[in-house]
Amino acid sequence: MVSHTGRLYSLALALVVFFLAWAVVAAHPWGATASDPRLKVLAAREAQLRHEAKLVNKVVALRWAAYRSALKARTAQIAAAKAQATQQLASVSSGSSSGSVRVVTLPPLTITRTS
Amino acid sequence: MERRTFHAMGTEMELLVDAADAGDALDAAEAEFHRLEALLSRFRDDSELSRLNRDGSIDACPDLLRVVELALAARERTGGRFDPTVHDAVVAAGYDRSFEDIDAESDVACQAPVTAGGGVSVDGSHIALEPGVRLDLGGIGKGYAAERAAELLALAGPCLVNAGGDVATRGGSWPVGVETAGGALTLELTGAALATSGRDRRRWRRRGRELHHLIDPRTGAPAETDLLRVTVVAPDAIEAEVAAKSLFLAGAEAARAEADAAGIAAVLTTETRTVLAGGLA
Repeated sequence: MVSHTGRLYSLALALVVFFLAWAVVAAHPWGATASDPRLKVLAAREAQLRHEAKLVNKVVALRWAAYRSALKARTAQIAAAKAQATQQLASVSSGSSSGSVRVVTLPPLTITRTS
Repeated sequence: MERRTFHAMGTEMELLVDAADAGDALDAAEAEFHRLEALLSRFRDDSELSRLNRDGSIDACPDLLRVVELALAARERTGGRFDPTVHDAVVAAGYDRSFEDIDAESDVACQAPVTAGGGVSVDGSHIALEPGVRLDLGGIGKGYAAERAAELLALAGPCLVNAGGDVATRGGSWPVGVETAGGALTLELTGAALATSGRDRRRWRRRGRELHHLIDPRTGAPAETDLLRVTVVAPDAIEAEVAAKSLFLAGAEAARAEADAAGIAAVLTTETRTVLAGGLA
């Protein structure tokens, strides 16, 4: 035989559980986030920025590659010019170190006069 | 072969380069003369040399510093026959402005001679003159400029730079005419330079007395010598310029002996004859 007090406690507990469930269902938090227009705008903005960042990274990578390529070509040009100048100066220096003079009967290209 | 002539440093400059399309190198060589003239001219109030002469000391640019060092070394090497401190003596003799502006003849007497040999000290890039000392770097400055211009022109090809008688070359062989008592002589320079100094061009008269720009530092007056002009061949135009002035002051006989002894190829010309010395034949 079940006591009368026990029945009352059971009924009270069931009522509490019922109202709690009611409150949760009435709040329906799952529906609020999905339907907030500001969140939708933010989400769209985030997606757009991620897309733009990808594009910018691609452009930067392309430009960096082009710069590296141009720098390599320019460095090669400078090295070649330096090597040529060094070679010319070396040939000139070697010529002057073994300088000579002789009297000739050629017509002069220039004339030295008192300065 | 490309050739360019222009006026700078009070004389005619000539650039020859054995290359086609050497315009840029010719431009650079010509600009170098004008740049160095702006630094080294004693006739320009704003030149570094004029500031040094006016103030007695200066923190010099590399070019003025180098030319002063070369001039002091030449003074030491020639026992004072070449001396950059002849400025006041040259002015006293009447060469106090650009040569084109000097009266060829005048009744105004020149000033008393001023002896050279004053102190010049170089400490790092700082040049200091003793009180009353001023420098004239005209001749050696031209030789220096000829060498610097030749370096720039050589980037285009073998070349010759003639800075009013101071000749610098780079590469190739160059026939250069030399005036003698009996006409002209041609010297072929290969990797060598040449300079001519004399009293046959920059000269003037004061009260009937003939004066010229080559000062004997020992007397402070225009040098009295039987030589009319001297041409010297040397490894570079600076050395040639110094040796030519030094031999000019020595007189014909002493210059010949000195050139023969030192193996300095030289053409010594008096009023009546020309002698080849230093193994030149």
